[in-house]
Amino acid sequence: MPHKPPTQEELERRKIVGIHEETITDVSSSDYPWTYPGEDHSWDIEAFKRNFRIEFHQNDPFEASFSLIGCDASIANAFRRIMIADIPTLAIETVFINNNTSVIQDEVLAHRLGLIPFKGGKEGLHKFLKWWRRPEDESQINNSYYDFNTVSLRLEVKCEHNEKAAPGETDPTKLYKHAHVYARDIEFCPVGRQEKYFSGENAIAPVNPDILIAKLRPGQEISLSMHMHKGVGSDHAKFSPVATASYRLMPVIKIERPILGKDAEKFAKCFPKGVIGLEKVTKQEAAQKGSGYEGHEGEVKAVVVDPMRDTVSRECLRHPEFKDKVKLGRRRDHFIFLVESTGQWESDAIFLEAVAHLKKKAQDLEKQVINMVR
Amino acid sequence: MSREQYQVPTGSPTADGGSFKVAPRDYVSGSSDNTMHYLCGDCAARVPLDKGAPIRCQRCGGRVLYKERTKRMVQFEAR
Ligand SMILES: [Zn+2]
Repeated sequence: MPHKPPTQEELERRKIVGIHEETITDVSSSDYPWTYPGEDHSWDIEAFKRNFRIEFHQNDPFEASFSLIGCDASIANAFRRIMIADIPTLAIETVFINNNTSVIQDEVLAHRLGLIPFKGGKEGLHKFLKWWRRPEDESQINNSYYDFNTVSLRLEVKCEHNEKAAPGETDPTKLYKHAHVYARDIEFCPVGRQEKYFSGENAIAPVNPDILIAKLRPGQEISLSMHMHKGVGSDHAKFSPVATASYRLMPVIKIERPILGKDAEKFAKCFPKGVIGLEKVTKQEAAQKGSGYEGHEGEVKAVVVDPMRDTVSRECLRHPEFKDKVKLGRRRDHFIFLVESTGQWESDAIFLEAVAHLKKKAQDLEKQVINMVR
Repeated sequence: MSREQYQVPTGSPTADGGSFKVAPRDYVSGSSDNTMHYLCGDCAARVPLDKGAPIRCQRCGGRVLYKERTKRMVQFEAR
């Protein structure tokens, strides 16, 4: 029997992950050869270029949302993992504590300092600064710090009584000077060429100056210096350039039979605001036989307005009045990304960097494979 | 670290931050070599105590004295 090419409807059906009351169906990817006998599904760059699309929904410095449409989960997941674990950032790595008489222990203080996100001139951060490597000979460690691999910071705070405080004052921040130590108290100490790359607007500084590091009482003091190095998220989470980088599949809501009147209003309430809209049944629809709208002209009907806003809670599947009237699903090849930057990179630049990173990894692998075959 | 004899800290740390070395802070200035300072447990005053002197705060008379924190630089990994 000769193979029949799949219909448009069949092609559409293959892309949907079914979401039912108790189960989820068709979860596996089918983007590889021999999934559908008689059809050619071998990888083809031209076919990929024809079908692949990127849409940006939001692009702010600290938050970007965009869709990758027409690619396999393995690719989308690779981008997500690279964004979290492989894009380098600068963070505090070593803390030299001269004095710390606060109630917070040295180890905990050092850990807290490490987690503070910093910003600085993009050219200096991404081009000028290089990796710092621990020298093999431990005694040579003091000769391994240079202006292109280490950034030096200082934190010197001493808490004292405030003589100008009003009598009977109870607020520690008014009663004492420097009762709270904030990220903005950290001082950047440029060395060598760092003056050129990190001056004025481009200075190395905390992204969020109001991060509380410690609380002090009169007589207590924190005096320390710090070294920052470049690192990646796979080494420690403090180096990750993103607060979150995640994706979800595009929800699909298919109303199979008309949902009218009071039911339509109830149906809309089963979804987050803006997902389902209410429209009047038109004269033409009411006139159409077998449409389910006969004799309902002027009544409200439920229509899908914006499925992207749906959380796929499946609430509508719990109500018997909507039985067999609605089908829920997700598009297997539509990935809605949400990337939240910690501030060192622009959020969209993180994704572009992830693309460049994956390309580099693929080229490295190609070289290895060629060497293996030789 | 080899087992060397204990020396009264002079204020210059032995391990340091390399080429970015921070100038050593002189925490013990104004004290003769064998006068140790302690912190009063009651009034938090800094109490100088000579060898053999009674263990007592000169300000409030408190008998609980705490040892001061080390004057040496301590290095930590921020992780
Ligand atoms: Zn006392």
